[in-house]
Formats: sequence, structure tokens, C-alpha cells
Amino acid sequence: MTRLVCPFCGARELGEFEFRKTLPEPGGTPFAQVYERIERPALSVEHWQHVEGCRGWLLVHRNPSTGDVLGTELLGGGPL
Amino acid sequence: MRRHGRVPARAVYARACDESPPNEPLTARRRCRVSGPDPRYSAWSLLRARIAGDGYWRPLWSGRVLADAYDVVVVGAGGHGLATAYHLARDHGVRRVAVLEKRLVGYGNVGRNTTIVRSNYLLPENHYFYEDSLRRWQSLSRDLNYNVMYSPRGVVDLALSDDDWPALARRGNAMRLAGIDAELLDRAGLERFVPELAPRRARRFPVLGGLLQRRGGTVRHDAVAWGYARAASAFGVDIIEDCEVTGVATAAGIASGVETTRGFVRAGRIVFATAGHSGLIGTMLGTPLPIETHLLQAMVTEPIKPLLHTVLVHVFPGHGEAYVCQSDRGGIVMGGHLDGFPSYTREGRWDRLEEVVQGAVDLLPQIAGLRILRQWAGTNDMTMDGSPIIDRLRYDNVFINAGWCYGGFKAIPASGSACATLVATGTAPDLIRAYRLSRFATGHLLDERGGGPFPVRL
Repeated sequence: MTRLVCPFCGARELGEFEFRKTLPEPGGTPFAQVYERIERPALSVEHWQHVEGCRGWLLVHRNPSTGDVLGTELLGGGPL
Repeated sequence: MRRHGRVPARAVYARACDESPPNEPLTARRRCRVSGPDPRYSAWSLLRARIAGDGYWRPLWSGRVLADAYDVVVVGAGGHGLATAYHLARDHGVRRVAVLEKRLVGYGNVGRNTTIVRSNYLLPENHYFYEDSLRRWQSLSRDLNYNVMYSPRGVVDLALSDDDWPALARRGNAMRLAGIDAELLDRAGLERFVPELAPRRARRFPVLGGLLQRRGGTVRHDAVAWGYARAASAFGVDIIEDCEVTGVATAAGIASGVETTRGFVRAGRIVFATAGHSGLIGTMLGTPLPIETHLLQAMVTEPIKPLLHTVLVHVFPGHGEAYVCQSDRGGIVMGGHLDGFPSYTREGRWDRLEEVVQGAVDLLPQIAGLRILRQWAGTNDMTMDGSPIIDRLRYDNVFINAGWCYGGFKAIPASGSACATLVATGTAPDLIRAYRLSRFATGHLLDERGGGPFPVRL
């Protein structure tokens, strides 16, 4: 994995992006939202930020066992 | 490559070796009972092997077959799993113990680290624990009857900014209050201890001083896995390789055994010591853990003559870090910060490798012309406060020994002993009471870095 596709800026080097967190189970307690993570061998749902680009927050679906990116979308659905 | 600072380095070596530890090792030394034809290693056994000729030496651990039932099943034949099994058999007399390993003994992080051991932590819960571990390292070769090549060559954390200096002083003071050796070196002191570093040399980040722990150093990592496996095997522990645990079976509210790729195994108690795959264990048991899995990579250059006699740890202001030491074979071993996103690929990203090499070359420009022979990565079970978890998980008879972040290797002896006590007696020894899982819910976090619930430094 060397690139991520920002829906706003296009394919960019991985170094432009910053990973923030793996998402917990939706709708959990505040404790779970802060501390718990769902770890799966084939699917990781994550928040990233395009810090050296549009600075948009991204929702990224990846396969952590192969490094394949399954999909990227802007968090909140549209350009910020 | 020219030689640098050989003579002072030798003098320092001698000094570091002469210095006796502040306290006696915690464990009474008990000889490892070796059954069968497997000889206890000694000068005498070398002589006997010479006379007996071929066929005298036996495999380090015996290839036993998987039984139907065990008192304790340990999942993961890495350092922590093997050490836990060894202490269960040796200290608590647990008869039937199995260590199940998905791949090979020592395939995971115990063979992927940079072999550094130290106990220079700030928080009392951590420095007492790691100090216990360091004392065990000092006598481990004798305890296991296997040379793990503990080398107290010193670990120096370098101060590269005005902010680093008081932070190191604070950490050093905390350690000294706990009776752990720590020395704050200014530039002149650093120049005496590591002349090859040339602290006064102009560099991107000027070196202001460092915090030295003389008893810190390196241990040969593979030997730790093999030594524990051999010693555990001698106590009757079954080490089963190529046997992946795929699930936990339950009956009457407790776990009854594990499903494996070689069939069902009944177990009185189950211990998960699966390092980088602990997050998946949480998911498997339906109990999400405060763990995210990240890669940490390391690399080693071609071997050269002695250049660096100690371990240098170097944290860039604001991003990443690099630590450098020279292996006994002569290669310069370098490591750095996490890759920065969850992964099980064990590949390592290229820009991080560049960053680590930049940091190492900035410290020691002498190594700039060397070729990197190997690069590798391990999967790190990063907890949300950077400290480990040794506790029950969901069921009363299921235990997890996880969340070692990047500190797992140096913790092996203490973790094995303490985890075995928890599993055998049901009560956590004082040393690991702070490592309970519920600390995240109650707010008793052990956050050395003070960085909040994110493993990645921003």
C-alpha cells in the first residue's frame, strides 16, 4: 500500500495522509467509542485525514492482511 | 569503514560489566530438570559429545503429539507464551501444559524485535515491572541452562532538544527513587561514554545529553525463544507447531477448550499470548479490546568491525524515532516508529524505512555507506495507553497476555512468571495488578506518553 485515493484530490502518496483510528462498533457506549476497536483480519474501517492535501476527513475501508484499499469516501458524504 | 573509538569503548565495557546489580535476582535459581537423553549444557557435556561423536545432541524441544486434554493450553509459542508455560510447569507444578503455535516457535515478534532490554520507564507500575524483568534477564542464561547472550552494554536515550532534557531528568529521577540505575549524562559525559557519537558534531538535531541505564542492553532474541522452548519441553510441556486455534468452545459459562486446525482440544484454562494477533482474539471471543494492530519495522546492515558498543535511542522532535545498536555479528540494527496504520502484512512502508535510516545516519554519519542486508516488520498489539494487559478475558478460565506495544521482548521473563501465577492461582501478583483490562473503564490508565487513546503519535 503506497497510495490512497482521496475522493476530492485523487490518488496521492500515502505520506500525505494520516491515519487516525479504527472504528469501534457503531452505537456503543462512550467508553467503547473512545477505547475499543474492532479488529478483523480482512476488513478494517478507519478514519484518515488528508493532512497534506485538502485536509478532508476520510472513511477508508481496507484489508489489513493484504494492504488492499477497498474504498475511500469523504466523511459526512460530500466535499468539506 | 574506519574504526572509531575502540579503546575507550573497551574500557566502558569493562566498567559496565563490573558493576553489580543493585539487588539480587528475584527468583531462586532452580536447575532445569532435563529428562531423557537431552544433556544439560556444560563444558562437561561438550566433552562427552566429543567422545560420543555424532548423534549425541538432541533437538532442543521434543516433537510431541497433541493430546485430547490439558490443564492449561497456551496459545502462541512466542516469548510470552513459552515463558508462561515454562513458569506454569516449573513454579506451579502444572502437569499437562500445551503451547499451540500457528506457525513455528519464534516466528512472530520474539524473532522480529531489535533485542533491546531496559527498564527506564517513568511510571512506577511500569518501571517496577520492567525492573523485575531486567533482573530476570541477568540470570536467565543460568535459569534456562541456555546462553541467551545478555549483554549489559547500556541504553542511552538521547536528548535532542531543550524539552527532552528535563523530561529525561524527570524519568531518571523517578527510576532512581525506585532503586533503578539511571545516569543523566551531559554532553561531556556522553562524549566520554559514546565517543563514536561525537556529540559536539554539527547535526540536524544537536545532541544535548542523554539518560543512561548501564544494565540495559541486548539479548539474543532467537536464543530466548529456543531457550524457553527447550526448558519448558524439559519440564514436560507439549509444544505443538503448525496448529492454529480457530475458536473457543464454551460450556456452562466457562471455556471448555479450543478448536484448532488439528481438532478440538479440551482445556482447563486457556492463555492467549498471541502478540500482534491479540486484537483478533478479542473479536473471536466477542469482546473488543482496546487494541489496534500496527507494524513496526527494523533493519540491519552488513556486518562491520566494532563501531558502537551501546544502544542509542533517538526520538525526533515531533515525528518518529530511531534506535541504533550493533549486533554481536557486527550488523548495525536500526528501528524506528510505527508504520502508522493497522496492518497484518509484516511488510513495512518505504517512507518509514527512509526516515529511520535518516535518523540513524544523522546520529552516526560513519554508517552512511553501509548496505542494508535485511528489513522486516512485526505486528504490534498497541493498546490505547501504551501499557500491556494481563487479565481474564470474558470467561473465568480464559486469560490474555497482550498489548505489549513495542515493549514485549524485554518483558518476557517477568510477564511469563507473573502470568503463570495469575493462571495457576487465579490471583494477579502485585506486579501486574495495574495491567488489568478494566483500567480503561475505570480511568486508571498507564499512559507513559500522555498521548490519549491513540497508538499513533501525531
